[in-house]
Amino acid sequence: MGKNLPGYFGEFGGRYSPEILTEALEELESTYQKLKKSKKFKKELEYYLRNYVGRPSPLTYAERLTKQWGGARIWLKREDLNHTGAHKINNAIGQALIAKFMGKKRIIAETGAGQHGLATATVGAMFGMETVVYMGAVDVERQNLNAKKIEMLGAKILPVTAGEATLKEATSEAMRDWALNVSTTHYIVGSAIGPHPFPTIVRDFQAVIGTEARSQFKKQNKKLPSAIVACVGGGSNSIGMFHAFLKDKQVAIYGAEAGGLGPKPGEHSATLTYGKTGFLHGTKTLIIQDESGQIVPAHSVSAGLDYPGVGPEHAHLSKIGRVDYRMVTDEQALDSFLEVTRVEGIIPALETAHAFHVAREVAKDLGKKKDLIICLSGRGDKDVTEVLRLLGEKNK
Amino acid sequence: MSKIKSLFESGKFKSAFIPYFTLGDPNYNDSIEFGKTILDNGADILELGIPFSDPVADGPVIQRAVARSLKNRFSFDEIFRVTKAIHDHKPETPLVYLTYFNPIYHCGISKFLDRAKESGIIGLVIPDLPFDTDESETLFRELKARDMDLIHLVTPASEKKRIQALSKTSSGFIYYVTSFGVTGERREFSVDLQERIRFLKETIRLPICAGFGISTPDQANQISQYADGIIIGSAIQRVIEENGTDRSKAVSALADYISKIRAAIS
Ligand SMILES: Cc1ncc(COP(=O)(O)O)c(C=O)c1O
Repeated sequence: MGKNLPGYFGEFGGRYSPEILTEALEELESTYQKLKKSKKFKKELEYYLRNYVGRPSPLTYAERLTKQWGGARIWLKREDLNHTGAHKINNAIGQALIAKFMGKKRIIAETGAGQHGLATATVGAMFGMETVVYMGAVDVERQNLNAKKIEMLGAKILPVTAGEATLKEATSEAMRDWALNVSTTHYIVGSAIGPHPFPTIVRDFQAVIGTEARSQFKKQNKKLPSAIVACVGGGSNSIGMFHAFLKDKQVAIYGAEAGGLGPKPGEHSATLTYGKTGFLHGTKTLIIQDESGQIVPAHSVSAGLDYPGVGPEHAHLSKIGRVDYRMVTDEQALDSFLEVTRVEGIIPALETAHAFHVAREVAKDLGKKKDLIICLSGRGDKDVTEVLRLLGEKNK
Repeated sequence: MSKIKSLFESGKFKSAFIPYFTLGDPNYNDSIEFGKTILDNGADILELGIPFSDPVADGPVIQRAVARSLKNRFSFDEIFRVTKAIHDHKPETPLVYLTYFNPIYHCGISKFLDRAKESGIIGLVIPDLPFDTDESETLFRELKARDMDLIHLVTPASEKKRIQALSKTSSGFIYYVTSFGVTGERREFSVDLQERIRFLKETIRLPICAGFGISTPDQANQISQYADGIIIGSAIQRVIEENGTDRSKAVSALADYISKIRAAIS
């Protein structure tokens, strides 16, 4: 697989996973190629997206935020209104259908914020598949509501205690499970990361976000927006939002990554700002690492952004300058969380709150009569306890 | 011919014993003693693990070893110093590194290989660098220029076509992964192990050594009847884990275990 073959985005991407997984990845790739062209598969996917997920999700004009920020008109692409409350279900449904087609009876997933675990447990219940979710022990604590829901849906949560006990470790553990059970199991990777073909498959299933947003906006306004913004952890909601707009040169694109507590190593997850090229979880991408190539633990107030790598396509988009990636600190995210909740009556996920902070900066810069769409990747019910705890700490 | 390959052809043993342990667990100086002990008690080739923070191909025992090692500040200088000390103890035994690709890439391939070679390393095993990547091709070329080997992994799931393609850029020996999953001790092996190894011997003109899951003298004996070598990692690492805080206890436990395995596969 050379750099000119599919699976690379510029110099990033590829397949750098243990040999034991190669056959499964090749099977997945060829199955997906076939299904992508199959009318029956497309129809089935559309059926579930419409009748189970609740697509298309609305594009909401945020009148009060627009006034409050005093710049560009603000629009929200409402992935929070999907069944299970985030964009993750788009991909989970798609991959579960692939798994079903391949005859795999068991699905596994990694999860940080629990949204992908929840989405996978949900499709596992709906399709009657045995489901196992790997979740860092720290995340089981801070995203306890989701952990409980996952179990209630009949999936098994396996808490991972290694290392920082967050998303990176959960991902490693899911890969190990897959290596052991590769003939019976499909690993539903939850973000646009991992060895080829995962970054492409996840991107394709999430592309529905941007495709819908673009045509909804165009229909209502007879033009394209001036800018779009999304938050970037592994990068699935963002690449899904960006994909349909990449060729629209007049649309400025912004990604919001977790600046955490500050620029010190170990205190942020700002891969696109501080990462260097490397190899993690089967892909060549930007990674936060030390001078010896050891991965540095990531930090973010939002479990879903707490990952030291990023999808390879984002690494490429950053390198060629198509997307402007900016850092947002924990504190800025928390402020945006509260602001959006009070002003717009929508409790966003802490992950999404990062996107709102960048959107506010961009909206000001754009000025009036311009339009900006924010991907509202998920709702924040899961974060309420954690936010209250953080506010309590702040007020001490 | 590569040093490793000529060792296999020397007729010194019927089946090679290839132990593995992670450098720096519990500290770098103890690693030197562990390395010497393993060499003195019958390693034909020794695999030294360079710790990487995210070892996705490894099971819990080696994961814990890596975590303990990384509690010491990781440095390539320490890795090469320890390697050299082990090499100088018994220069005739080939040493190879097992590590993930990221640290090597980060160090810089040429710089890493030059220093590894100076320290006595003659081959590399990299579980997350498939042969069909540009990086693997570059690495193979750079290794060849230094008369060093690139040892590839083949698994029960590897298809014929892939095995044939892989034989072009592998040297030294083939690391045959005996079972699905990650490293760690196992009670049983796949039923077609013997047939797979025979097929590999016919397809790839290299010694075929079996690893992943082997721990007991009986298992080693059995598999050595048809494999050119036996690789043992987790079981050795467990001996270190159980005795590691007491260097002399660990050394004698290691000596005991290594000599038992060596005796079982002669
Ligand atoms: C609501 C929400 N947004 C964003 C993310 C980040 O993931 P990604 O970057 O893959 O979209 C998560 C992950 O859990 C999430 O739950």
